[in-house]
Amino acid sequence: MKFVHKVSKGSRFNQIYIPKEFENHFEVGDLVQVELLEKNTKLYYSKKIELSSFKKRIIQEIFSCLNNLKSISQIFVFGSFITKKADYNDIDLIIISDIITEKQVYTLLLEKLELKFHILMIPESKLKELEKICPLTRSMLYYSISNKPFFLEKERVIDKNHINFLLMMPEDILKLNVDGKTIYNALRRLETIENFLNNKEENPRKIEKDVEKLIGEKISCKLKENTPLAQEETKRLNEIIKSKLVKIRKK
Amino acid sequence: MSKKDKISELTNILSKALRHRIGSIVNEHEIYAERYSKDSDTLIKSAQDISLGENWSIYDKAEIKTLLKKKLQKELEEKEFINEKKFKILDKELEKVLLFLELN
Repeated sequence: MKFVHKVSKGSRFNQIYIPKEFENHFEVGDLVQVELLEKNTKLYYSKKIELSSFKKRIIQEIFSCLNNLKSISQIFVFGSFITKKADYNDIDLIIISDIITEKQVYTLLLEKLELKFHILMIPESKLKELEKICPLTRSMLYYSISNKPFFLEKERVIDKNHINFLLMMPEDILKLNVDGKTIYNALRRLETIENFLNNKEENPRKIEKDVEKLIGEKISCKLKENTPLAQEETKRLNEIIKSKLVKIRKK
Repeated sequence: MSKKDKISELTNILSKALRHRIGSIVNEHEIYAERYSKDSDTLIKSAQDISLGENWSIYDKAEIKTLLKKKLQKELEEKEFINEKKFKILDKELEKVLLFLELN
């Protein structure tokens, strides 16, 4: 004789009630065994994101696997795994915790799911601060799925040192020979910083579209595929980067 | 490209890569250094491409180290927004990258 029931919250202990129709079968003193069939893991979406049931199940498994670790206060899944249909390499995670290490989380997930993860550890005390000062963090969390409710901080605070730090790479690109993807990422970063400084949303999908509009579809494809650029094209991109840097510096 | 030019380019890239790495370690808000160290990794990979195509003598390696230290010192001095602790870890990070590229 068996039945399936949900665990309910009790004032001192959580409990499982025996359904009325089974009360004669399960009596006080009988020996029973309780087995976990499915974890109740809710997904909290930052924005409307269309996800296949396969991806939803993976995310639920990630949350369920990490929910047992009390030192983790919140988990976020973000990046191409949830924003692109198939064009993703790994699953990006932000783990909010003061104690656990990235290696511990990675090992646990790898053992359970055998998938590639990219994990960022953020101490709980730093998350709110980063939301305010970091354009890249805001962009990462714009489309994200969490195990707990989450609302992106509206207030933006300009921390010049932090912005300068983020601008180092686009500046370096002007002086070095780097591949197309690095240039593309630098352009996306500049666009994100510009939006942040203009108090505009750091929507990564929109940012990609804006970059494509700025440099043209042909060059955009070349950069993403690491196809060598013509001298004229490199010159044009350098001009765009320079002018964006000037604009940002004036803010 | 002559060997001298290669040493110059290699040390240019590495000095910037190390500046990124050191900045992500010492700056208070660059707490998720691992994410930003991708910037540094990207540049180190470019340096590796240059380094692998050449047979470096011990004299070349010594020259690379001296030149790199000089350039890195300058890079770090110019970036005032990177915490002052940067100079304390300069040597350690420099040694690490040279070891990685088998240039020590």
